[in-house]
Amino acid sequence: MSKLDYRKLSRASRWLDVRNRKLGMWAYALNRITGIGLVIYLYMHLFVLSLLLRGPTAWDSFVALARSPYFLALDVILLAGILIHGLNGLRIALTGFGIGVGAQRALFTTLMVISAIALWVAALKIFRV
Amino acid sequence: MNTLKVQLQIFRYKQGQSPHYDSFVVDVPDTAHVIDAIDAAWAIHDPTLTFRRACHHSSCGSCAIRINGVEKLPCITRITDVWDGHRPLRLDPLRNFPIVSDLVVDVTSFFQRMSAADMAMTCEAEAFLPFSVDTFAVADLDPKPVDLPENFSRFSRFEQCIECGICMSACPTMAADEKFLGPAGLAAIHQARKKTDDPVKVAYLLGLADGEHGVWRCHSAFECTEACPQAVDPAGKIMALRRELIVSRFTKMLGKRNV
Repeated sequence: MSKLDYRKLSRASRWLDVRNRKLGMWAYALNRITGIGLVIYLYMHLFVLSLLLRGPTAWDSFVALARSPYFLALDVILLAGILIHGLNGLRIALTGFGIGVGAQRALFTTLMVISAIALWVAALKIFRV
Repeated sequence: MNTLKVQLQIFRYKQGQSPHYDSFVVDVPDTAHVIDAIDAAWAIHDPTLTFRRACHHSSCGSCAIRINGVEKLPCITRITDVWDGHRPLRLDPLRNFPIVSDLVVDVTSFFQRMSAADMAMTCEAEAFLPFSVDTFAVADLDPKPVDLPENFSRFSRFEQCIECGICMSACPTMAADEKFLGPAGLAAIHQARKKTDDPVKVAYLLGLADGEHGVWRCHSAFECTEACPQAVDPAGKIMALRRELIVSRFTKMLGKRNV
């Protein structure tokens, strides 16, 4: 087994170093964090779906857990990740097409405000279910 | 003019020794730039302190370092703009380059990236100096072009870039992919692309930009453009290359369907 390359790991940790950096770096770091979070969620989701193979009892007990307020809070965090990653991805796609390159900071701010509003509305709906 | 007593915390590294920070307290005028404080630390406290500086007016790019973690040219950065008056002013070498000694890094990889796009070291403007460096006829100050080599276009870089390496240090993707062409390399490709319509050259340049370590490795942090002291806007150039690549792919795709 190859050894963990600490030099590479140390270099990669700079992805999250937003100290004294500008807004674009925050967008970059947020996209990395939410991207990793969504990949972890995908595997968790597949694991949860595999409970169906264990029959109705296993699934029903999971559904009961999923309705608890703590679990619903995780739903809100998931939704935050999806909104931030998705809308930030839209900024990257637009600038990649040459649209809004000069206004990328304003674009990011606007999209994050939209994320925050959408998340607030969704959180209210989630907790009222 | 008042005198400031500035505390510097400077990254130190000599081959075979462990990296560490040394603290120096220097007296400088309140109008001084960071390079003046480094000069004072070197002259008064420690002549073994290694750093680069030449022009003192953001023309050569050689003094580029990180000041409180952010890439800047200390020759044009006033101390009062970056020092809060309490905490030490932290000075580090640029990131993503091998450290030679203290604040000096080996910028070879920067020039390798520039040469990948066939960009060399001469500004077009330099060929139109008011006198030829060969004759040194300073009496005749009317601008006259000097004799250019036949393949002159190969010797023109993009005009504003002072080759300081700040963009490569500021880029977070450079930290993840050592082979990434980086902001300077990709901006050079964009400039070379703008200068030619030769289909062979265009294909070569766009192929370079489209490669595994090309424009698609950029994740749009825009830190290169934010940090660039010369408004080269490398991120804008990367986005322009992306746009051209996307358009060219769509054109090829639609063209093939229409056949």
